[in-house]
Amino acid sequence: MITLLLVALPLLAAAICFFCKNSQKGPGFLLASVAILELVLAGICFELPEGSPWLTVCPKWLGFDILNGVVLLVTALLFLCVSLHTLRWMPAEIQYGEEGETTKFSNFCACLLAFLGTMMLVILAQNLGLLWVAVEATTLVSAPLIIFHRGSRSVEAMWKYLLICSVGIGFALFGTMLLAVASRETGAGLDLAGLMEQVALIHPGWYKAAFVFVLVGYGTKMGLAPFHTWLPDAHSEAPGVVSALLSGALLNCSFLGIIRVATLAPEGAVPFVSHALIALGLVSLAVAAFFIAGQRDFKRMLAYSSVEHMGLLALFLGTGCLHWGFCHLVGHSLLKMTLFLLAGNFLLACGTRQIPRLGGLLKSMPRTSFLWMIAVLMVCGMPPSPLFFTELQLFLNVDLWLGITVAVLLFAVFAGMTYAVHRMVMGEPGTAAPTQEKAAVAEKLWVVPLVVVVASIFFGSVMIFCFMEGGR
Amino acid sequence: MTSFAEILLAVLLLTDLSLLVSSRLLHCIRLVALQGVVIGVFPLTVWNWSQGTPSPQVFLIAVLSLFAKAILLPKMLRRSMYKAKVRRELEPLVGYSKSLVIFLAVTAVAFCFCGKYLVLPEETPVLCAPVAIITIFSGLFVIIARKKALTQAIGFLVFENGITAFGMGMMLEYGIVVELGILLDVFVLVFVMGISIFNINRAFSNIDVDEMHLLNDDDAHQGGEK
Repeated sequence: MITLLLVALPLLAAAICFFCKNSQKGPGFLLASVAILELVLAGICFELPEGSPWLTVCPKWLGFDILNGVVLLVTALLFLCVSLHTLRWMPAEIQYGEEGETTKFSNFCACLLAFLGTMMLVILAQNLGLLWVAVEATTLVSAPLIIFHRGSRSVEAMWKYLLICSVGIGFALFGTMLLAVASRETGAGLDLAGLMEQVALIHPGWYKAAFVFVLVGYGTKMGLAPFHTWLPDAHSEAPGVVSALLSGALLNCSFLGIIRVATLAPEGAVPFVSHALIALGLVSLAVAAFFIAGQRDFKRMLAYSSVEHMGLLALFLGTGCLHWGFCHLVGHSLLKMTLFLLAGNFLLACGTRQIPRLGGLLKSMPRTSFLWMIAVLMVCGMPPSPLFFTELQLFLNVDLWLGITVAVLLFAVFAGMTYAVHRMVMGEPGTAAPTQEKAAVAEKLWVVPLVVVVASIFFGSVMIFCFMEGGR
Repeated sequence: MTSFAEILLAVLLLTDLSLLVSSRLLHCIRLVALQGVVIGVFPLTVWNWSQGTPSPQVFLIAVLSLFAKAILLPKMLRRSMYKAKVRRELEPLVGYSKSLVIFLAVTAVAFCFCGKYLVLPEETPVLCAPVAIITIFSGLFVIIARKKALTQAIGFLVFENGITAFGMGMMLEYGIVVELGILLDVFVLVFVMGISIFNINRAFSNIDVDEMHLLNDDDAHQGGEK
């Protein structure tokens, strides 16, 4: 019942929003209330005992289990933060933001809600076919969000997003079909629970072929290099709140798709799966490190940082420390969301994403800049960030060569990002210095980022203390 | 009815071939519609009729995909073609004769590979796996080697037809919800693409995707200068 509600509620609200008048109040109220309800429902899922009648309404299709619980909660939490921020940000953006035609607020809310609904469907799906349908649906409903500002650049970003992701996900469909061929003897079709029980009967040869296609397919959507090419464009052109959702929530959902298929690996295919994941993870880290160094666009920089963290998640899955991977996922989602929201504030005030044209922002926008510095340091893995802890665990749990390679690449990312931040917030004001009025408006949007930054510091400190007490 | 299924697969192969060498967009759209008919009828032909008539679900899927892929989507593509005022793909990135050579090479490779290495169940049509792979490849090739956004949408449809043909030929069962979901997704995707083609036409004053180079990591273009 609850699982069905989690999916149906946002979709219903989206339909209402779509047909309602274009005013600020109605859609905004609906957005916030649905976000709160979803978080409450997701929380209830954790409280209910396993097999409770509230959770088992069509168990063949939707279900709540160990793997999707964390992602479910993070997505609901993230959506709440983003929707609260959107309500404050939207009026400011319309008044002071970039000029030109924009999407109507009611339609924007409708797309956001539909996006949430389809993501919930991805997370809760217990059938690989349904999972594919849902992942493709997230692309469709999020594409209109990218062209909030109508212009040639955003149209270009949207077309790339639509085409590259759809073709990529098409490969995942092919992979899903190959998996159905591989699991013919189990007779379970694409039903996850049925497949999990009879992993030994899955044909290893067909499974390997299936995994390659699924990895390429969902890897495209997740932003693993070398299939990440849509990601920097879409993340940099979309408004800050949309990038926050794309990066913080959507990438995790596709990662869940890969996890689902990877856990089905029969005995003979396990090394193949983990090698493929480690290879893609390392490539993603390297590509991110290369493009972050000397990056001149701060939203693209954040997008490449997402590529880096998705690479790390692939490494966590490939090296078999998935539980740390989930901690990493939570930390990354929260911090990256904060960063994109703050980037949206800078963009609102300065009207440019070019780092060389900015400077001295610590004087003109002290709150935003301060939070920005802390969040960047934390996303790079500075203690007491939760990411420091999970990256440490990765380093301790893998082979030495892999650990050292990862550490070197992470350091390169750290150097690149801190250099860019230094150029933005220190020094003399750049050519695109914000006017006092705009800076004051953008400075007012500090609540959600501050709360999330404090929460992640707390979360990370608790993890480190627990580790120190348990380890000694 | 296996032989009839083989004939349909042969038709699919021929449409791929002529799609790669035709420059008129209207002709390409007609070919995609023909592929839609083939894909719609296909599940009925691979069905083993000696076991009795197929379930109503199979008929439902056949009718719906026939309706969507052979009538609605081509109509939509034709509309966006007239709206964007394009008729021909004049300067493809890979020429038509080169495309033909590449297509033939891939066909040979696909048939050799599938004949040698794939062990398929008895009842599936022999042509199914190679033709599906070739169709998938043709779709991808059209997306990569042609310039117009509209041609890319057509290429995506061909790509998806190939995947569907593979699933149908293998007689995979994954439930009516999933099949309808896939159909709906593809339908909405092409619909959204049709709308975006209109937007691209307005923003770039044509629909050549090789003019889309505003977004990259090159220094000169960066930073959202408007």
